[in-house]
Amino acid sequence: MKMNFLKLFATAAVIAGTIGGTSIAFAEKSGGILKFYHRGTPPSGSIHEEATSSTVVPYMSVFNNLVMFDQAKPVNSIETIVPDLATSWEWGNDKSKLTFKLRKGVKFHDGKPFTAKDVACTWNLILGKSKAKLRKNPRKSWYKNLASVETNGDYEVTFNLKRRQPAFLMLLASGYSPVYPCHVPPKKMRTKPIGTGPFKFVSLKQNEHVKFKKNDDYWKKGRPLLDGHEWTIIKSRSTRVLGLIAGKFDMSFAGDISIPIYKDLAKQAPHMVCEKHATNVSTNLIVNQFKAPFDNADIRKAMVLTIDRAAFNKILGHNEFIMGGSMLPPPHGVWGMPPEVLKNVAGYHPDVAANRAEAQKIMKKLGYGPDNPLKIKVATRNIAIYRDPAVLLIDHLKEIYIEGELDTVETSNWHAKVARKDYQVGLNLTGIGVDEPDAMFYENYACGSQRNYTGYCKEEMMALFEKQSMMDDGPERLKLVYEIDKKLQEDAARPIIAHNVRYNCFQPFVKGFKTMTNSLYNGWRFEDIYLDK
Amino acid sequence: MVSAEHKIEDSRTKVTQRSVWYKIKRLCQRYPLGAIGSFIVFIVVFAAVFADVVAPYDPTQTNAKMSLSAPSAAMLFGGDMMGRDVLSRIIHGARISLAVGIGSTVLGGLLGTIIGLMCGYFLGWFDLIIQRIIDMMQALPLLVMALVMAASLGPSLENTIIAISIPLVPQVARVIRSNVLSLREMPFVEAARSVGMSNGRIAFRHILPNTLAPLIVLGTAQLGSAILTEASLSFLGLGVPEPYPSWGRMLSESAAEYVRVAPWLVIFPGIAISAAVFGANLMGDAVRDYLDPRNQG
Amino acid sequence: MSAYVIQRVLLMFLTLLGMSVIIFVLLRLVPGNIVDIMFDSAGFVDPSEKATIEKELGLDLPIYQQYFDWITALLVGDLGFSFVSEMPAIDEIGPRIPITAKLAALSLFFSILFGLPLGVISAVRQNTALDYVLRIISLSGLSLPSFWLALLILMACVSYMGAIPIYTETPETLWDELLLYLLPSAAVGFRASALIMRLTRSSMLEVMRQDYIRTAMSKGATENAINYKHALRNAVLPVTTIIGIEAAFLIGGLIITETVFNIPGVAHFLVEAILMRDYPIVQSLVMFIAIIVVVINFLTDLAYAILDPRIRYS
Repeated sequence: MKMNFLKLFATAAVIAGTIGGTSIAFAEKSGGILKFYHRGTPPSGSIHEEATSSTVVPYMSVFNNLVMFDQAKPVNSIETIVPDLATSWEWGNDKSKLTFKLRKGVKFHDGKPFTAKDVACTWNLILGKSKAKLRKNPRKSWYKNLASVETNGDYEVTFNLKRRQPAFLMLLASGYSPVYPCHVPPKKMRTKPIGTGPFKFVSLKQNEHVKFKKNDDYWKKGRPLLDGHEWTIIKSRSTRVLGLIAGKFDMSFAGDISIPIYKDLAKQAPHMVCEKHATNVSTNLIVNQFKAPFDNADIRKAMVLTIDRAAFNKILGHNEFIMGGSMLPPPHGVWGMPPEVLKNVAGYHPDVAANRAEAQKIMKKLGYGPDNPLKIKVATRNIAIYRDPAVLLIDHLKEIYIEGELDTVETSNWHAKVARKDYQVGLNLTGIGVDEPDAMFYENYACGSQRNYTGYCKEEMMALFEKQSMMDDGPERLKLVYEIDKKLQEDAARPIIAHNVRYNCFQPFVKGFKTMTNSLYNGWRFEDIYLDK
Repeated sequence: MVSAEHKIEDSRTKVTQRSVWYKIKRLCQRYPLGAIGSFIVFIVVFAAVFADVVAPYDPTQTNAKMSLSAPSAAMLFGGDMMGRDVLSRIIHGARISLAVGIGSTVLGGLLGTIIGLMCGYFLGWFDLIIQRIIDMMQALPLLVMALVMAASLGPSLENTIIAISIPLVPQVARVIRSNVLSLREMPFVEAARSVGMSNGRIAFRHILPNTLAPLIVLGTAQLGSAILTEASLSFLGLGVPEPYPSWGRMLSESAAEYVRVAPWLVIFPGIAISAAVFGANLMGDAVRDYLDPRNQG
Repeated sequence: MSAYVIQRVLLMFLTLLGMSVIIFVLLRLVPGNIVDIMFDSAGFVDPSEKATIEKELGLDLPIYQQYFDWITALLVGDLGFSFVSEMPAIDEIGPRIPITAKLAALSLFFSILFGLPLGVISAVRQNTALDYVLRIISLSGLSLPSFWLALLILMACVSYMGAIPIYTETPETLWDELLLYLLPSAAVGFRASALIMRLTRSSMLEVMRQDYIRTAMSKGATENAINYKHALRNAVLPVTTIIGIEAAFLIGGLIITETVFNIPGVAHFLVEAILMRDYPIVQSLVMFIAIIVVVINFLTDLAYAILDPRIRYS
């Protein structure tokens, strides 16, 4: 397995060396359908309206972005951004104005030409400025700083920002930032999406399949190599993994192979190539600071102290999960606090017994004890990946005289319940689209953001968010991000338990693909993949 | 067949003079499968009643070291994902399964019997109206009905019992009614009517005892099927929620996920469910044979 | 008799009308509406966007208005649009029905093929070794959780044959199709045949004890003639009820089996639609199932009347 990993890494490096790639060291083969399984029917085909890998993973290849993350490099960062529909870009006005030169001769799947107008339409749709409206707009918070989009002729477009934001380019490189055609209404984009990408949407049948076929008129010469890719929807994980073992599928679904399942796969199907990756999804605690007694910072601190992260990691991650703050630590991520910084953050000290003794003291001071426990409900979604850590959490809370009862909430009610702040303590999973502090902080910790479930809102933190956002990438910004993250953890804004790690497994004949390690949402363009059968 | 019945009558007169133990021994000899079934049911009931004493561990205590550990001397049936003892969880799970099984069978059976008897006996407009309601209830298959009910009531133990019992009502009622329909034309009922017995008396003296056999067959089959339906609802994500160690939930998603890595997570709860249902069914058969009015001569 | 048939047909419509009200109300009791679920994939709920979508879907109307709109559309054959896929509900449901129908027919065929004769044999050879073996087999069929059985079958297939019989694309030849449906329908049929066998046996025994059989016996009819002519004929009565109920009950087994074997049939689709609160789909499907069940019940009752001349209808 390790050998394969190294070999693939080498392949990836070679491919990466020839961006735009017409001449590649290995013999590429055209043709064939890549077969995936999918864990559930995608809610729709409109990437801008969804915030789930169920949609972005299969549909990303229908579209192009202005810029994208180099598909052959595992770690997304500002350095790995490459041209896509934009051929070049230029910052102006002290990085508060971003101008793109656009590719000529690009056509949408329905034959209509792509122009600057389509770019303007797409972001006006997100800003709510166009006549057509999105039903749902999950990435509004990403574009808080975007003032307007201007076209200069058919092949140039400028993004005017309200203030300096060098990381704006990162947001545009995500799989969540495709360019939509102006002439197709949002409803049609949900059911029969049209883009400029290497693959055309063919059909979606609920609980059955999603199919895509090659775009013969793709603007990139010689791409894509595949004739298409097809996804069989299988809800039961044991069934779909059995299918993978039996060779019915060429690749697993993004983030689906958990560590225990990987271990079984490695035994049952040792020929399979499995790449370990962080999903940039963290398991965390949400504490309702508006409800007594959790408005008391001391209780929140005690709760943070009693968490035995090693036990979580042992059970849920077979010791392969990554400890960190809100940002994913290196080597998988870019911005997370490394172990030497992390150990100074309250609650992260490895001596759990000492932490708990301190927590017990706090609780006793507040009048709780073995005979007078604090009875609470721990809410979580009724899905195994939420439920399992919640059970562990309840067990750890027992140590500090908190008697938790699990309150499993159906998926249908979860977000509504959390939005109403109708919970005491919850166990939650948080994923971000790009490994970028701007995306993380503004989405999850900023005042007024829809995904800020805990309602955490502090002026001083908002000022710090803005300060880091205006800085260029470099050691200084990194230092400030560490500092912010440490504060967020110590405030128990949303205590992070662990960053999840998964495997992406595929058959050895699948070439020209690299699993990204700090995002689940950006590496699915598929134009370079080929089948070496 | 005739000679067999004589033998039963012979043995019956003898039994009354002997001790209780002798009775049990004779019963076991006459109904060996029933004896096995009763023994299994006894074990399940025993486990449910004395779970706190019998179980080696606290069924909710997690233990990182024992996560997905194979069966060993420390944990006879191995450990689950959370390192909880599977054996202890199965022992405690007997409570939930019994509660769901007995609760829903009694609730559904009682309502169904009353409705079925009344419909079959009174016929006429009463039967018509009730039959329409039953038809409506029965127009949805058990699991579909239970699914809709479970979804609308929300997951909890009480709601699971109600959700599983309601679809049983029309099933019981319908079979009881059809039995009553053919029984009421039987010579012995006609005879009873001709000597001027009242309707109520006929229902209780003749019809009810005579519908007892199919009722018990149905009841025991449904005791088992209630446990199975609970497991199915859990499999579909709508069963008894997590803090309770229910067999169905143990078998459902999270266990099925580790079926290949830790087969004991699937095998032992599966065996527990199968055995309990099997035992209930065996016992039901024997009880039916024993209660059969024609066996009593 | 014909008056009875007309009466029953009218009552069937009444039942279905009542059913439509029940399912409509029941679905709307379910906490969490479709729009909340739609927002799940966005990771938040935006109240103003939610209100817009509700209006678009007509969920802001009073419930009686919604019911009236739905039922009048249904009567002219308009099933509406799926909330989830935004496609016409008929296009979502239609192609899935034959898949489930084939599976159900095959399962029912298996269950009657094995259940009925084995049940009779078991009753006739009551308390012999054969009877015991058959009873244990039928009981174990009723005792195994169906998804457990299905999962074990799948695991065995992968371990011993290296292949997995899950539905991945439309089968091309009849043989492929049969192969694909064989294991799932066997998994469903096993339980169903166990039930039929059990009922046939107890029903046979019941009838064999009754006075007229004894009378036949005392008149010197041979045992076989009695078993097959008199007893079976009367024993079939409750068994038809069960086969009728079973045909509908199969949907339950199919829900699980279609899920485990990933067959894109209508049973599996129904569960998904319930979980997603896709009202137009659930309502149409439930009405469809209800129509089938009501018709089967009606036919069962007719069979009663024909098979048991002692039952009189007035």
